[in-house]
Amino acid sequence: MALDHRRVPGPEESQAPLLYAVPGQAAPEAPGREAAALRPLLARAGLLSQAEGSASLELGGGTKVLCAVRGPREAAEGRGRLLCEFRRAPFSGRGARPRPGPAAAARERELGLALQEALAPAVRLARYPRARLELTALVLQDGGSALAAALSAAALALADAGVEMFDLVVGCGLCRAPGPGGAWLLQPSEAEERAAAARLTVALMPGLNQVAGLLGSGQGGPPESWAQAVRLGLEGCQRLYPLLRRSLLRSAERRAAEADPPQS
Amino acid sequence: MASVVLSEAEKVYIVHGIQADLRVDGRGCEDYRCIEVETDVVSNTSGSARVKLGHTDILVGVKAEMGTPKLENPNEGYLEFFVDCSANATPEFEGRGGEELATEIVNTLYRIFSSESTIDVKSLCINPREHCWVLYVDVLLLECGGNLFDAISIAVKAALFNTRIPKVRVLEDEEGSKEIELSDDPYDCIRLNVENVSCIITLSKIGCRHVVDATLQEEACSLASLLLSVTSRGTLTCMKKLGNGSLDPESIFEMMETGKRVGKKLHTSLQKILDKEESLGTTRQKVSD
Repeated sequence: MALDHRRVPGPEESQAPLLYAVPGQAAPEAPGREAAALRPLLARAGLLSQAEGSASLELGGGTKVLCAVRGPREAAEGRGRLLCEFRRAPFSGRGARPRPGPAAAARERELGLALQEALAPAVRLARYPRARLELTALVLQDGGSALAAALSAAALALADAGVEMFDLVVGCGLCRAPGPGGAWLLQPSEAEERAAAARLTVALMPGLNQVAGLLGSGQGGPPESWAQAVRLGLEGCQRLYPLLRRSLLRSAERRAAEADPPQS
Repeated sequence: MASVVLSEAEKVYIVHGIQADLRVDGRGCEDYRCIEVETDVVSNTSGSARVKLGHTDILVGVKAEMGTPKLENPNEGYLEFFVDCSANATPEFEGRGGEELATEIVNTLYRIFSSESTIDVKSLCINPREHCWVLYVDVLLLECGGNLFDAISIAVKAALFNTRIPKVRVLEDEEGSKEIELSDDPYDCIRLNVENVSCIITLSKIGCRHVVDATLQEEACSLASLLLSVTSRGTLTCMKKLGNGSLDPESIFEMMETGKRVGKKLHTSLQKILDKEESLGTTRQKVSD
């Protein structure tokens, strides 16, 4: 097609408008928050009909994660295996739509592996020889602490599927504010995570008080600072535990009510 | 990771020995095996290093090429990591067997180097938004003898220390078109400052104690390990739990303290070796040229 000189051709590749934002236009300062404040949590188990177990977890401030478990399915190898997949919806992030490429796929694989390593201590895989459990975590909206929410949702989904577990796994995200001597904040929002100097996700089995997973990076400072962060995260996990248990009980009651409807 | 078959009796032997701070090869719980570091082994690269840690053999080559800066960071160059698990290492790596391990290593390396202060990427910029140096770091696993992450991080640090990036000048015409000129002198180059590059320390939990630098047999006995990336100043930049077991919170705090101690020692000895190799210069004996 001949080049049309009356029109202004746009760039050949599409880019997000945020790249051209003038730096220094700071967002209105959010009111200061308490470091150990937990965001409101909404957890529901048993909502997908096609999966053996499913759970949805929403954190106040906009993190929504959906998790589904399929299995146990027959597998060729001798030992039971848990295969985890972590996926983000393309519209889940605040910035540009991520280009599907090796970098994004590698990051999702890393988080899938982190999910699997955190859930493996909790699941009694020895009871499922020659079987595989497939777990998919889908982040619908990333408003901060997405991996931690995915961990809790995954544990709920496994429990909802009736997989034998030693304990639920509760995940908690933390981040360290930038600047020297920044404090560690529990369950950061998306803006706090973006500006953070260091990020950490802890996964705890609260009933057994065992740390199931740990993933952190950034300039967190000396080990004492990281130890303080881990303690804060574990405390947050202990506080979230009763909420997750209650949601499981509610879904079990709902299932029982559907199975035999109450006599009218 | 390469696996070795151990009987129950052997596992009990290893666990009980570690309880008494005595490992199978006579080391203490916080001792490394003998590490051999050699830089400038491959002459076609901008920098290279080979590290032998017991039976683990790693070869890292760094090639500096000119590319376009990323959109989000127009004033910086960047590093790209690739890991190749060669089939020589263990038969499990044949074909696509080593891909999962390679992805894990690459992701850990990216995680460590994504921290801003590790490498001064602003010095890799030639023309903002147009040209920059891209360092392609290729890691080759030649032999797998336990404790891969530590050996790889040492090799990457040594290779980056050894990297020589040629100096370029940017000439601008009257029309504004830029031309890049490479300096004629092959020894005129910029070196990278690797002071803030961290080293990975993997601490494996065996029984109730943790060990540094586990061999393949010890890795088979450990249920969970903690991977820490320690800088020369003793700060941690990355923390990751590996393995299918769980860790007690108290053990994690102990492991972090051990990691900091061992990391600082490792950094000082590594820096000594690298400076010594550097000072030898052209008088260093090379087998072939």
